[in-house]
Amino acid sequence: MINQLPIINMLIFLATALIIPLLSKRTFKITLIFGFIMLLCVVTSSFFLIFHIAEHGAILYQFGGHDSKIGIEFKVDLMAAIIGLFVVGLTTIIYIYSCGDETEGVEQKEYGRYYILLFIILFAILGIIYTNDLFNAYVFMEIISITTCSIISIKRKKETYAASFRYVMLNEIGSLSYLFGVALIYMVTGYTNIDWVSQSIQSIWQLYSINIIIALGFMIVGIGIKAAIFPFHIWLPDAHASAPSSSSAILSSIIVKVYIVVLIKLLFKVFKLDILNHFHVSTILVIVAATGMIMGSIFAIAQKDIKRMLGYSSISQIGYIVMGIAMFSSLGLASAMFHIISHGLMKAALFLSVGIVIYKKKIKKKNDFEGLAYEMPITMSVFTIAALGMIGIPLTSGFISKLTLGMASLDHRQGYLIIIVVLSGLLNVIYYLPIIISSFLKSEPNTYHPFKIEKVPWPMLTSVILLGIGILTFGIFPNLIMNMITQAAELFGLI
Amino acid sequence: MQIIQAFVDHINFIGAVALFLIGLHTVVTKKNLIKRIMGLNIMGTSIFLFLVAIGNVTGGVPPILQQDPNVNYINPIPSVLILTGIVVVVSMTVYSLSLTIKIYEMYGTINQDELTYLIREEEIHD
Repeated sequence: MINQLPIINMLIFLATALIIPLLSKRTFKITLIFGFIMLLCVVTSSFFLIFHIAEHGAILYQFGGHDSKIGIEFKVDLMAAIIGLFVVGLTTIIYIYSCGDETEGVEQKEYGRYYILLFIILFAILGIIYTNDLFNAYVFMEIISITTCSIISIKRKKETYAASFRYVMLNEIGSLSYLFGVALIYMVTGYTNIDWVSQSIQSIWQLYSINIIIALGFMIVGIGIKAAIFPFHIWLPDAHASAPSSSSAILSSIIVKVYIVVLIKLLFKVFKLDILNHFHVSTILVIVAATGMIMGSIFAIAQKDIKRMLGYSSISQIGYIVMGIAMFSSLGLASAMFHIISHGLMKAALFLSVGIVIYKKKIKKKNDFEGLAYEMPITMSVFTIAALGMIGIPLTSGFISKLTLGMASLDHRQGYLIIIVVLSGLLNVIYYLPIIISSFLKSEPNTYHPFKIEKVPWPMLTSVILLGIGILTFGIFPNLIMNMITQAAELFGLI
Repeated sequence: MQIIQAFVDHINFIGAVALFLIGLHTVVTKKNLIKRIMGLNIMGTSIFLFLVAIGNVTGGVPPILQQDPNVNYINPIPSVLILTGIVVVVSMTVYSLSLTIKIYEMYGTINQDELTYLIREEEIHD
């Protein structure tokens, strides 16, 4: 029974996506409540899955009972379980928000469709996290691509179509590059299952080193385009700025991270350290990540539209994650995984609080935030917490992830990387702090009424507050998840 | 002579890579949106050709069980993977073509340069 749990999680999402159209004749509240209950079910079962896996080891599941050499196999290890719980939990919080927002800019009859797309995305994300098959991962990637593009273009506005067209083109180049890499690996090994591929690749890589290096290059570039790693980021700011706020949060804090998980699987489960060190992948990734961390922040400073600014900030934060991975050490991987979670929380909090501001005041420029904290104290407080987390102030989860990254770089004898981390943090100050200062300090204080909470739908406020509490909790008690993450990172067999 | 022999032996792989590059070139450099979608299709086709070429066994027959035990079968798994791949690429093509229709309705053009110009114009007006 417990072996079926990951599959049941996925099937619940697929079934929900199929049932929502049947509910279209009823009032929309029924759909919302139904979806929420389903999400809660999956959150509970993911919790259960983590404790089961931490105790008994990874779950293997062969579809249709076929042997893993020819069939599709799911392997739920500790990392997959943690990321799975993070994805589902964060989506639940964003889901609560989207109930109040009525997903701004979307037409009334499209609401149902929005949630159908959301559940199909969740289905594919769980699939991509759990799967142990390179080609199967490609199929799930494509499902995510199509649904994400539709969720961007669901607002029937001019600019969304152009943004999602660019997204389709780049994503498709990315997936085809990945597929080309899979084909090259299949040519050498004859498998697509990750375990078998890595077993046979370890013994023959010196004979077919040209195949392996081309495959490695194609796959890293393909995933890099989809995960918006620095030189391939151009689609991200447009897409994130033009989507509805709740889907920008999902795009930025979840979907981009899923591809990073694929990258981790690819590097440490398929190719492993011998091959990676031989081709100097670590150096390349560190350079890419460092450039991304600096350039993303510099681009973000120049933006006027606040959602575009947050998009560019995502690019620099993805640099942190990639740098953690590029250390090729257990601690570095742990810091990357912690930053996946903490950046997910912080970016979701930022996008959602900005979403409330856009919902209430219809402003999008960052100069219009003057004195806003007097009118919307809770929203701007959460925005401040999350922004301070981005900068890396103690007591927020962003501080912990930067600290772990710094320790990992010292361990790795690459202490100079700390300079880049600190520099990028300082650049974050340049574009986050003016917003905080102008919203809290620049206004005539006589309009200030203490204890007056802004009038916005309660689901929106609840979800934003939950995210703020989450950021602080993981900042003050990082060991709640850090132990688990370290344990998961050690399973990859790095030093 | 050896070079020509190697070329002929690996003509499938070379063709696939050439098609991939042609497709990539089309996607990156062409301004017409429909031509870019065609470029994506060429890229997809090149990978399918590559996978078929991998699965081929010289002198093999299609993988249908036969009486003769000495028959060589070609590898069916790449062909099956391609079936999935074709479905995916078709759906992506359909989706991007429908987006192109919408873009044409909204902006009245499918040229990337004009599109960028129009979008920038609107941003300045905001």
